Amino acid sequence: MANKADQFKQAFREEGREVLVDLESALLELNDNRGDMELVGRVFRALHTMKGSGAMFGFEDLATFTHNLETAFDEVRNGRLPISSELIDLTLAALDQIRAMLEEGMAGAPVADLAACAEILAKVRHLTGKPEKHPAKGKTAPLTLGLETGAWTSSEAVTGPVREWSIHFAPGPDFMLNGANPLLLLNELKQLGGLAVKASMAAVPPLIELDPERCYISWEMVLATAAERDAIRDVFIFVEDSCELSIEPVTSPDKESTEAASAAVGAADLTARALADKREKRGGRRDYDSPDNASSLRVPAAKLDQFVDLVGELVTVQARLSEIAARCDDPEIAAVSEEVERLTSSLRDNSMNIRMMPIRATFEKFRRLVHDLARDLGKNVELTIEGADTELDKTVIDQLSDPLMHLIRNSMDHGIEPPAVRAERGKCLTATIHLSARHSGASVLIAVSDDGGGINAEAVRNRAIERGLVAAGAELTEAETFALLFQPGFSTAKQVTDVSGRGVGMDVVRQRVDSLRGSIEVASNPGAGTSVTLRLPLTLAIIDGILVSIGDASFVLPLANILECIELTSADIERANGKHIADVRGEIVPYIRLREHFNIRTPRPEIEQIMIVATEGGRYGFVVDRVLGNCQTVIKNLGRFYRHVKVVSGATILGDGRVALILDPERVAQDAVRAITHGSRAGPSVAAIAAAVKQGLRGRSAAPQKTI
Amino acid sequence: MGITLDESGPQAVIGLNGEVDISSAAELKALLLRALNSGKKVRVSLDKTTVLDVTAVELLWAAEREGNKAGVGFSLAGPALAEVSAALSVAGLDLQQLIVSADAR
Repeated sequence: MANKADQFKQAFREEGREVLVDLESALLELNDNRGDMELVGRVFRALHTMKGSGAMFGFEDLATFTHNLETAFDEVRNGRLPISSELIDLTLAALDQIRAMLEEGMAGAPVADLAACAEILAKVRHLTGKPEKHPAKGKTAPLTLGLETGAWTSSEAVTGPVREWSIHFAPGPDFMLNGANPLLLLNELKQLGGLAVKASMAAVPPLIELDPERCYISWEMVLATAAERDAIRDVFIFVEDSCELSIEPVTSPDKESTEAASAAVGAADLTARALADKREKRGGRRDYDSPDNASSLRVPAAKLDQFVDLVGELVTVQARLSEIAARCDDPEIAAVSEEVERLTSSLRDNSMNIRMMPIRATFEKFRRLVHDLARDLGKNVELTIEGADTELDKTVIDQLSDPLMHLIRNSMDHGIEPPAVRAERGKCLTATIHLSARHSGASVLIAVSDDGGGINAEAVRNRAIERGLVAAGAELTEAETFALLFQPGFSTAKQVTDVSGRGVGMDVVRQRVDSLRGSIEVASNPGAGTSVTLRLPLTLAIIDGILVSIGDASFVLPLANILECIELTSADIERANGKHIADVRGEIVPYIRLREHFNIRTPRPEIEQIMIVATEGGRYGFVVDRVLGNCQTVIKNLGRFYRHVKVVSGATILGDGRVALILDPERVAQDAVRAITHGSRAGPSVAAIAAAVKQGLRGRSAAPQKTI
Repeated sequence: MGITLDESGPQAVIGLNGEVDISSAAELKALLLRALNSGKKVRVSLDKTTVLDVTAVELLWAAEREGNKAGVGFSLAGPALAEVSAALSVAGLDLQQLIVSADAR
């Protein structure tokens, strides 16, 4: 029981976090659109949900504290209290305390500050002019069976036209075991308006067969309320997955409401009987017993990581099986191997898909940061968000918060000018920070743009020379100049502020993006703004690739970048007068000889292959000796020692135990272009990397390893 | 406190005290079955009951059906009955209406 209750508390925590994210975003939107009653409704419902469900799951302090805020927003909803910056700021501060109360007892969680809570409540009371109903200090008795509900009901009346709703509610088998209480839910519901209730005992079995910890009772209700369907549904938000619930408007507008209510309850009675009949026909099995009832499941992230790790290992073993099958020349083994390959591929895609999450929550939480910083810095800044539904691997999302926070802080502090300066420059007084996400092949591009003053490239260069990072006479491209911003401790800020200027943040951005095997691009237009784009891989675990070889070395090119493969013969080379260009159906495509780029000193074959790849900078050909075929690749990190080798994004173990390096076509192309422009060749000795990596991976391959 | 069963008198009396909820549901079921099997009239006494949850209501309702079917009789009584019933009435589970004792039939 205790364990079950803990599980349910945990489930409430997880859902509660989401409600709080929504609350925060609604509050911030409300700050910009103060007359929007829909947003007021959203804030009220979120507070109401936290209060009601908090009480139900044993978070009494949280429920009591939230109740006072809910009262304030009820006043707003009824037009008795205007939305003010003070109320928004107080509610945001309260939200931080609610968050701390929600996480109470969790390792490393912040602790709710009772003094701060009391201060917030005092200020809220001052705004509303209402006395506090529940003191925040000390424990309050749990809300039980309506004995104390009177105190909760007074402010709940919803204004607007009253409608009637027919509600069917049947708790599922584990409902009670999970710590939920139908009586509290019905009490909550009653607070929304007039409620007529009919409990159906039809499904309660004979005593001897009765599972004492299960709720067999179902309810048919008619609720007369001004609240919308969403508000009614919110009462059930934390139990929706474990019950049957339908909320339908009652369609009998001509009758008096009481008649309609009783008629509907009568109809509901019929419905209940029909439901009971249906259950009996199905051998007493209730609807929610059907396996397809659960529409979604919450699974701890650690379990998912373990699952993906195992799939990764399976992919590696499957590659070995394919290799053996190819050697054996046994049709039976070949058939099994192909089947395993097909299944593994589908399992891999499915497991990857499970890990994909929209980036919305990460983006939304920056609204608060921008709001708070704008207030502290005395600037007017609006945050706009685009592509919040773009999905990324959970691991990538988890690690994005810090770099994005540093980029936004930097933009707010250094990029965006104070209002007076903006006015002088003829710019709109309210600055904009734009957060965007979009897919681009196997990568996702996350950009933080501002319409501030832009980066002074000259100042960056001078500072770099001052710090001895570049020689005084060095010629730097714009990209190289901006890359200096991400050097440890680099800052052009004239003064260190609370927000930024210590030169720590940008270094953190680079380190984190590097660890995600991503890259950073900076574009800046003096006077008009700066845009920092993070290019990140969609997933960090497994990719589809094409396996190629040059001499003894094997490489994997991500399939997402490959357009086609053509032959390169001596005759082709002669026709191009030795220039590294290929004629692809009349179109000239420059190619890069990977053998030369990577210093591989083996004789080249008569006929080579050009892999045509698409990069941001256009199409390039990568010349290799042989194309070995498709492969599913479990990415192994190269480790810290090789983190400076940008052209290689990871390594993988092949079926025969050899190591293949996974190339980053974008970086290889950039590297080759830079080598031509600067007349130097910076290609690393890949043979040495592969040998060292093999040593490292072999040492780890005995046990399942973390691939992400 | 908690749930008690007294079979010493002419009736089998089950006493419900304090909170009777899912944590004591298995015990209540066992005691109700034992009381019904005793062959005596069963009386559930709500003397110091503060809370009954739906699992308890279901058990009492099923026991009442059983008791009446077997002809032994089943009744609810006690000073806390009205208050507990009122609390349950929000869910349409007013015990006094839901469980009509055999005496009143």
